[in-house]
Amino acid sequence: MQLFHLKFVDWLESQLIYHAQPRVDVEGINILAPNSPYVCIGYHQNLEQEVDLEYCKINNIPVFRREVGGGAVFLDGNQIFFQITLHKSNPLAQGDKSGLYQRLLEPVARTYEDLGIPAKYRPVNDVVTAEGRKISGTGVAEIGDYIVLVGNLIADFDYQTMTHVLRVPDEKYRDKVFKSMTENLTTIKREIGFVPSWDEMTKPLIQNFETVFGKLESAKLPQKVYDQMAILKLKFESKDWLFMKRKTKAEENTKIATGVNIVQRIFKAPGGLLKATYELKENKIYKAALTGDFFCYPREAILRLESALEGADLSMLDKLMTNFYKNNEIETPGVVPSDWVKVLSG
Amino acid sequence: MTTIETFEYPDALFYTKDHVWASVDGNVVTIGLTQFGQTIAGDILYVEAPNTGREITKDEAFMSMESGKWVGRVKSPVSGKILESNTELEWESNLVNEDPYGKGWLTKIEATNLQELDNLFRANSPDLANLVAEEKKKYKK
Repeated sequence: MQLFHLKFVDWLESQLIYHAQPRVDVEGINILAPNSPYVCIGYHQNLEQEVDLEYCKINNIPVFRREVGGGAVFLDGNQIFFQITLHKSNPLAQGDKSGLYQRLLEPVARTYEDLGIPAKYRPVNDVVTAEGRKISGTGVAEIGDYIVLVGNLIADFDYQTMTHVLRVPDEKYRDKVFKSMTENLTTIKREIGFVPSWDEMTKPLIQNFETVFGKLESAKLPQKVYDQMAILKLKFESKDWLFMKRKTKAEENTKIATGVNIVQRIFKAPGGLLKATYELKENKIYKAALTGDFFCYPREAILRLESALEGADLSMLDKLMTNFYKNNEIETPGVVPSDWVKVLSG
Repeated sequence: MTTIETFEYPDALFYTKDHVWASVDGNVVTIGLTQFGQTIAGDILYVEAPNTGREITKDEAFMSMESGKWVGRVKSPVSGKILESNTELEWESNLVNEDPYGKGWLTKIEATNLQELDNLFRANSPDLANLVAEEKKKYKK
């Protein structure tokens, strides 16, 4: 297997390379980082729904739509990317998705361990610390007869910019995304207190990949890859590609890590508009904020209701709401317990 | 109905090696993922419905699905023109998992050459049984 250890490259090239390789039959592992920040959205996402384009424009942050799955992410030179292009006939590409993810992500988990961070592969496609915090982003695309897995080592992460490049319904929602992200996504710097050098991070990564792929042969990217990148550049920079029409979201839902989402839902009850913003973790509600246009007496009862929701399982909402109304002094004309269940769980 | 390795294969359909089924009504070919195909794909989160009227060729990867951040492609078993796509899947992509031979259908293609289906498997074909058995072994690894 060839190793293309490219270090820092132009941000656009960092994406075009792995999109070009399968199209010109070049298997290999790339290790690289973009030399400037950008936003990257998943293949099936709606750009205008996911990204605050105005913020990106003002801050000169370009946007790219990849052919790989997953959500919108802010990427920069503090993340080292590995991009693995495997022909579907390669024995390492055989088996089911979780098998392939496990095979290719366990070396990444071991790399974190080599850096002093206890980490493990967690099905289906995560690498997490011992505390369960996500520490690598991954995804796969089938391109022609190839499978391309991309992922990163997160040396450091700009949480502030990440939460600002996302298009969110309001600042309360953004605040929740920020808090949830800082709690559920970690970095090498946060875990060990500093950012190791490029070589200190990539040397164990390469060695760990060699336990799966055998000896990796350092190589230069063939000219045909660059030629293909020039062709693909036109497509990937076109408005048709970037603004490709995709499914419209029925609710605001920002995935932070596997099993952790920030959700905002709106429901029109007879007594007014209800809006619920909360963190959904393993199907349980945390940090709920209930707002909208409705009457509530006494007003602070809504704060008690928010507290009562802390840790509530979505499947238990009916009972919880009924009991809350029965056991508390609360009047919400035109809003009954089942309306809250609807706005919280759909 | 034929059962191969616990997976159902309706007898009236044609099957590709990529776990796509095809049914024929006149020159209209409807396709979808087999029960085995959707099982190995996992929970489908997105389905990209191709535009009506688009010309496609046999074995062309013409639409995509996403599960677990994995974007997979679906190859057409025939050449022709997209007559209709199952746009319901853009909202309820889980239909592919829940009802692969029914509400989870993917597209209808106006085929230009139905003979392209001649090389596909039928439910009772030993070659299909062997393929599914082999694939199932791989997916156990």
